[in-house]
Amino acid sequence: MLKIARAFVLALSSLLAMASFALPDAEATRLLHERLKVAPVLQGAFEQTKTLAGFKNPLVSRGEFLVARGQGVWWHTQQPFESTLVVTRTRLFTRNADGSASSLMDAQAEPGVRQVNELVFSLLAADLDVLADKFTLAAQAVGANGWTLTLTPRDPDIAKFLVRAVLTGEHDVQTVRLEQARGDTTLIRFSRQASSAALTPEESARFR
Amino acid sequence: MSATPGSLPVSRLRWQVAAWLWLAFCCVVAVHQWTFWHDARFDTDVMALLPQDEQAPEVGIATRQLADQVTRQVVVMVGAPDWAAAQKAADAWERAAMSSVWDHTLVTPHPLFKPSALAGAGSLRDSLAFYAPYRDRLLTPAQRALLEHAAPASLMQSALAALAQPGSGLRLADWNADPLGLWPQWWLARASDTRARPRDGRLALSDGGREWVVLLEETTSGAFSMNGDAPLAAALADGRAAALSAVPGAVVVAGGVPLFAESAASRAHREVDTIGWGSIAGVLVLVFFAFGSLRPRLLMAASLLVGMATALSVTAWVFGQVHLLTTVFGASLIGCAEDYGLYYFASRQGAPGVAPLPMMRSLLPGLALALLTSVLGYAALGLPPFPGLRQMALFAVVGITATFATTVCWFPWIDRGTVRPTAFSKWIGESFARYPRLGTTRGAWLAHAVLAVACGAGIACLHVNDDLRQLQSSPPALVEAQREIGRLLGLASPGQFFVVRGTSADDVLQREEALKTRLDVHVASGELAGYRALSDWVPSLARQASDAALTKRVEDGVIAGVDQVLGETQQRARFDAAPLTLEHWLASPASTAGKALWIGAVPRGDDVAAFASIVMLRGVRDLAALPGIARSADGLPGVRWVDQVQSVSALLGRYRHTMGLLLAAGHAAVLLTLTLRYGRRAWRAWMPTAVATMGTLALLALFGQPLQLFNVLALALLLGIGIDYGIFLLERENADAGSAWLAVVLGAAGTWLSFGLLALSSTPALRSFGLTLLLGILIVWFVAPVYRSRAVPLLEKQ
Repeated sequence: MLKIARAFVLALSSLLAMASFALPDAEATRLLHERLKVAPVLQGAFEQTKTLAGFKNPLVSRGEFLVARGQGVWWHTQQPFESTLVVTRTRLFTRNADGSASSLMDAQAEPGVRQVNELVFSLLAADLDVLADKFTLAAQAVGANGWTLTLTPRDPDIAKFLVRAVLTGEHDVQTVRLEQARGDTTLIRFSRQASSAALTPEESARFR
Repeated sequence: MSATPGSLPVSRLRWQVAAWLWLAFCCVVAVHQWTFWHDARFDTDVMALLPQDEQAPEVGIATRQLADQVTRQVVVMVGAPDWAAAQKAADAWERAAMSSVWDHTLVTPHPLFKPSALAGAGSLRDSLAFYAPYRDRLLTPAQRALLEHAAPASLMQSALAALAQPGSGLRLADWNADPLGLWPQWWLARASDTRARPRDGRLALSDGGREWVVLLEETTSGAFSMNGDAPLAAALADGRAAALSAVPGAVVVAGGVPLFAESAASRAHREVDTIGWGSIAGVLVLVFFAFGSLRPRLLMAASLLVGMATALSVTAWVFGQVHLLTTVFGASLIGCAEDYGLYYFASRQGAPGVAPLPMMRSLLPGLALALLTSVLGYAALGLPPFPGLRQMALFAVVGITATFATTVCWFPWIDRGTVRPTAFSKWIGESFARYPRLGTTRGAWLAHAVLAVACGAGIACLHVNDDLRQLQSSPPALVEAQREIGRLLGLASPGQFFVVRGTSADDVLQREEALKTRLDVHVASGELAGYRALSDWVPSLARQASDAALTKRVEDGVIAGVDQVLGETQQRARFDAAPLTLEHWLASPASTAGKALWIGAVPRGDDVAAFASIVMLRGVRDLAALPGIARSADGLPGVRWVDQVQSVSALLGRYRHTMGLLLAAGHAAVLLTLTLRYGRRAWRAWMPTAVATMGTLALLALFGQPLQLFNVLALALLLGIGIDYGIFLLERENADAGSAWLAVVLGAAGTWLSFGLLALSSTPALRSFGLTLLLGILIVWFVAPVYRSRAVPLLEKQ
């Protein structure tokens, strides 16, 4: 049972972390540290293209995101449907179009949530040590400022969910491509990234 | 009445045959002893001492099954203010403790611990594959409520939103097999059996401002030697020291059945040593002072050795395994078994002119009667249905009988020459004549009346206490650590649970579901964190059918809606038409986690088949909530609440009562038996024990000791032993009262020493047993000569 829980939570955490954001590598720590800048608060727009087994058409969604270190991740889908996914230190919930929040998990009931979030934050802090524990990392320089980072899960139970994740970027992460089991792929493009030192009151309200 | 030594005809041949037969028996015992000690294994499990449930066999099986699961598990929790420090401390702990071995002298050291199999049980891939065909009929209570009540439109909206959200990691199946993402939540609910979660390749949890690493280990051997070593405790101490030196301020909490067992084994070892060697030394010193020469000492030691070895062999043969507490109790037997040899040597000393064999012949009736009363006294221990007490009773009965047989069969042959009086024995013998004697005067009646009133007043002040914890004697630190681990991990309690029985596996599952519906109320109110039940893993057929119908209705609607919005043509995946059965599940690796909850077929009087399972509670908020939770079983057929502590305590109380009545009956029976042999003088042999019984109860009250089953059992034994002294004195009051008194003084001193040492035991039950006999024997000892029928003139002594 513990093994099942472990694999499940690990898989969950890495996928969430990947999807929300991702960063750099082990031998290439230096490369990424040089080229990628990390800010306490990062926001911007995204366009996500999901190709799912069984679906004839790719699912395309667009929206805005906000990542605050130590606070959480706010993922606001605007098209084609209004919905918001919020990951905080203790909770994981969706805010529906009508403003009501429905909890997917909270740390009280599922202690693993804390870890999901810690992994997300360590990613955003460019903590390559944490990443290297769970993935084999391979990085390549692209052009003068760019880079590509490929993450392959070490744990076979995670590999069952996630075959590989490929990140590209320059100062910021620009694309994340997740290749999942069953042939599903997700490509996320980020744009209009802007960083700041702290959250505004209105922004921090999004995490409550 | 009593025979004059040498006046009875003695069949030498018959006696010789008896001696040789006994020698042959002893050889058999010796051979068994050789193999027994070659691979000595003692039972340390406290559960083995507890009674089987009298009414329901499934409760006993359930208890045993839950205990078996954890017999080798050791849980160690290493805590520190932050995760990095906790990991560092845990690494240090593992380096130090995991390198420990059972025996450093071996060439290929056998490691003490290995990582527990529990952590790696069953792979996720296999379990997912196993359950996938049944996904449509696996719902948590919350999901069932949601699907029943939520508006179809809002469910469809959630499904669309989930599709838009990043990644698809929250899904464990193809979209058309689980469009609402219900399955991952069902798995999370299954994972909630413990609060520990994987983190960086370890199990972890956060609590009280600390980060904890949870280490699950298993001891490589379940048995503990009686050599007094404590390798587990030593390894844990090493680990703790290493963790603390790596991370000052780290906290290490260790628990698990092996730690309790080892602690019990090493304490039992100490106590057997103290009681056994103390008693033997005491007896030999007394024999030396009383009889001087070496021969009596060797013979006495030999008879005790034969008695103890036979007792151990027969107990091991009957019970399969000897419990540690039996050996502790058995060690105190020495003080009782020596009485026969002492009586013989004291009589020989008192009548130097009589040859050994005729002397033994003349002593035989009295000795046999004394043996009979002692055997009855010890056998009374075996009346309550406590396996531990029965083992002790058997051990004692066999032990004293074998010592008796050795004394009677062998002593007359081996004991040659004379037993010369020593200064000490003369002094004791002569003291008898000067000992005050109670006549039938008015003063004597008055003294008895006063004594009776005083004892009555004392006994009226006695309070009873049947708490099971009197059996519990583990070090408080160990108990506290165990409780802390249970709290931190949110483990299900093994002490209180429900047993559900039914006529078929599916009947059991249905009844479990009825119980769970009631328990959910307590979960909702926060009194209970949750429960563990088989039907969580395998719902009943009815529940599977209704849940499958529910998900089909809702998910068909959701898929149709999504198809319409996105212009897709998805079809809902097909699931297995046949339901998930318990047999199928039990045969698969997916059952690893929940298997222990299934008891299976249980014995039953009539022909109807019966099956049973266990439903365990997790995170009971406080004990005050338990009665309310227990009432969940009320009115549900086949559901039974089991509270180990409470039911055993109730049993202890019931048997304290019953044994109290039996004790009174026993006194009457003994008095009757004595009357058959001694006629109107019988009361003189009985009175000392009666006075001692009353006096002991009054003294216990005076010392503030509660009355328990074990006091009553000790009083039953007091009846068996105390009567001996009355018999010895009465038997020889014409012949040689001084030597009988010597035997009584020496015997009582030895018995007193043994039970006095037992009163030092760390097991509360044995302690109160020892204390009761300590007081009782002391009173019999001092009171017995007071009831002798006439003053023995000094002239009768030579």
